[in-house]
Amino acid sequence: MSNSRRLFLKGACAAAVGASGFTIATAKGTAGSDVEPVCNYALVHDETKCIGCDACSIACREVNQVPEGVSRLEIEREGPFGEYPNQHFRFTRKSCQHCDDTPCVKVCPTGAAYKDPKTGIVSVDEWKCVGCQYCIAACPYQIRFINPVTKAADKCDFCKETRLKEGQLPACVTACPTKALTFGDITDPQSQVVQVLKSAPSYRTKTDLGTRPKLFRIASQSGEIKL
Amino acid sequence: MSPFHFDSLTWPWPIAIYLFLAGISAGAICFAVLLKHFKLGRDAYKSGFVQAACLIAPLAVFAGLGILVIDLTKPFDFWKILVFYNPTSVMSVGVAVLMVYQVALFAWLACVFKEPALSWCNGRWPVVEKLFSAIAKHEASITGFLVILALSLGAYTGFLLSALTTYPMLNNPVLPLLFLVSGLSSGAAGTLLGGVLLKGNPDGKEVHFIHNIEIPMILVEIVLIFTFFTGLILTGGQSQVAAFAAIGEGFWGWIFWAGIVVVGLSMPLAFNLFMKASSKRKFSYVAITASCSLIGVLLLRNFILYTGQMTVA
Ligand code: SF4
Ligand code: SF4
Ligand code: SF4
Repeated sequence: MSNSRRLFLKGACAAAVGASGFTIATAKGTAGSDVEPVCNYALVHDETKCIGCDACSIACREVNQVPEGVSRLEIEREGPFGEYPNQHFRFTRKSCQHCDDTPCVKVCPTGAAYKDPKTGIVSVDEWKCVGCQYCIAACPYQIRFINPVTKAADKCDFCKETRLKEGQLPACVTACPTKALTFGDITDPQSQVVQVLKSAPSYRTKTDLGTRPKLFRIASQSGEIKL
Repeated sequence: MSPFHFDSLTWPWPIAIYLFLAGISAGAICFAVLLKHFKLGRDAYKSGFVQAACLIAPLAVFAGLGILVIDLTKPFDFWKILVFYNPTSVMSVGVAVLMVYQVALFAWLACVFKEPALSWCNGRWPVVEKLFSAIAKHEASITGFLVILALSLGAYTGFLLSALTTYPMLNNPVLPLLFLVSGLSSGAAGTLLGGVLLKGNPDGKEVHFIHNIEIPMILVEIVLIFTFFTGLILTGGQSQVAAFAAIGEGFWGWIFWAGIVVVGLSMPLAFNLFMKASSKRKFSYVAITASCSLIGVLLLRNFILYTGQMTVA
C-alpha cells in the first residue's frame, strides 16, 4: 500500500518536473537560435492606392496554379462609405502575413510547415504534410487551406516556387496596375519596401498575438473608424 | 451561422471523439491501477470492473488513433507523423506520448493478467512464460510510468486545443486541467458501466471506492468549468465575446446548460449522493449514473471544440 502511494507521489513529481521542463525547453527553442537570415522578405499593401480590381488575385491563381474553390489571396471589400458621388470602398488584403514568429510552423507535427531561414518565407513541404489541419487552426489570420489537388496545406509563399525562382517579383506585385504592392527585403535599408515603409505610416494586424507579421498595410483614408 | 458549419471551423466532431476516447482510455487505466493497488491486489483480474477498464483502455486508444488517421486529408501518409517529430508541436509530443503509453499499457496488462494468462498457456510456450515473468518483475516501475503517461495523455487532450492562439476561448490555461479531470471522470464512468455489464457486483467494494472519488471529482469539474468561463469573461475583448456566444442562447447554450450542467454534472452528483445515503446500490443506479457522466463528457468535448472555434482573436 504505502509502496504504491510513494510510487504515485514520485510519478506526480516526475510528471510535473517533466512538463515544466518541456515548457521551458520549447519556450527557449522558439526564442532564438534561428540561422542568421540572408534577407527577410516583406510586403506592403498600400490601401490608399488599391482599387479592388482583383488583378493580383487572378495573377496569383494563374501563376501558382491555385485550384478553383480555394485562394492564396483575396481582396476583401468594405463599404461603400459616404454619400454618392463621394462614395468609397475600403480594400484589405487577406493572405499569409509571413509571420516572423510563426504559429503555423510551431504546431506542425511533421515540420512540413516551415520558415525558410534564409529568406524568412513561410512555406509548406507538400510531401511531408499529412493534412492534420493543425496549422490551419493555428493561423490567427485564417488564410491557410487544404489544396484539393495535393491534399496538403497551402497558402501564399511569396511565389517562392514560381516567380521568385526565376528571379522575378511575385505575380501579384507585378500584376497590380496601381503599384499598391511593394515587395522586398526589409533588412536592406536601400530596398524599395523600406523606402515605402519610411514614407508613410503603416500598420499590421493582430500584432498583440506576438506573430510579428511581415505584411504591412498603409491605411486607406476611406472606411470607418471603429472603437 | 449554423451550430455545425461556420467559416472559422477547422476541426469538426471527429476530433472531439478522438479527444474523448484518449481521455476515457487514460481515465479507465488510472482507475484500474487504483483498484488493483488499494482494493484488490493480486486478485484484481477477477473483478469485472478491472476487466472492463483493461478492455476500455486499449480499445479506446486504438479507436481514437484510427479516427485521427482517417481524419487526415492524407491518411496513407500518417506514418510521417511517427517518423518526423517537431518538439514545439503539441500534436507531435502527444503522438509520442500515445506511443509510449501503449507500450506501458500492455506491459501493465501483462502484469495484471499474468496468472490467468499463464494458466491458459499451461506450460505450452516457455517463451511466453519467461516474457511474462520478466515483465512482472518490473511491475512497480511499469505502474508508476503508466500513471504518469496516462495523466500526460489526459492533459494532452486539452493542451492540443489550448496551444491555438487563434481562438481566445481555447487558448486558455484551465483547459488542459478541465480536460484531464473530465477525462478521468469519463474513465471512472466507463469502468463502472463496463463493470456492471460484465457482471460485476453493483454494490461491490470497487463501486464504493470509485464513487467516493467520483463525488469530489465532479465538484472539481464544476469549479474548473466555472473558473474557465469567469476567466474568459473577466479577460474581456474577444474572450468575453467567445464565452457569451458559447453559454448564451442558441443550440450550444442548450447543450451546455441542459446537456453538460444538468445531465453530465448535476445528475451524477445527485445520484452519487443518493447512493451514498441509501444502503444498497443496484445495477440500474450505477448504469444510469455512469451513462449520464459519459454523455456529459462527450458533449463537453464537442461543445468546447465547436464553440471554441466560433470566435477568432
Ligand atoms: S499568416 Fe498564418 S500561415 Fe502565414 S505565417 Fe502567419 S500563421 Fe503562418
Ligand atoms: S496540415 Fe500539414 S502543414 Fe499543416 S500542421 Fe498538419 S502536417 Fe503540418
Ligand atoms: S506573393 Fe505570390 S503566392 Fe503570394 S499572393 Fe502574391 S502572387 Fe499569390
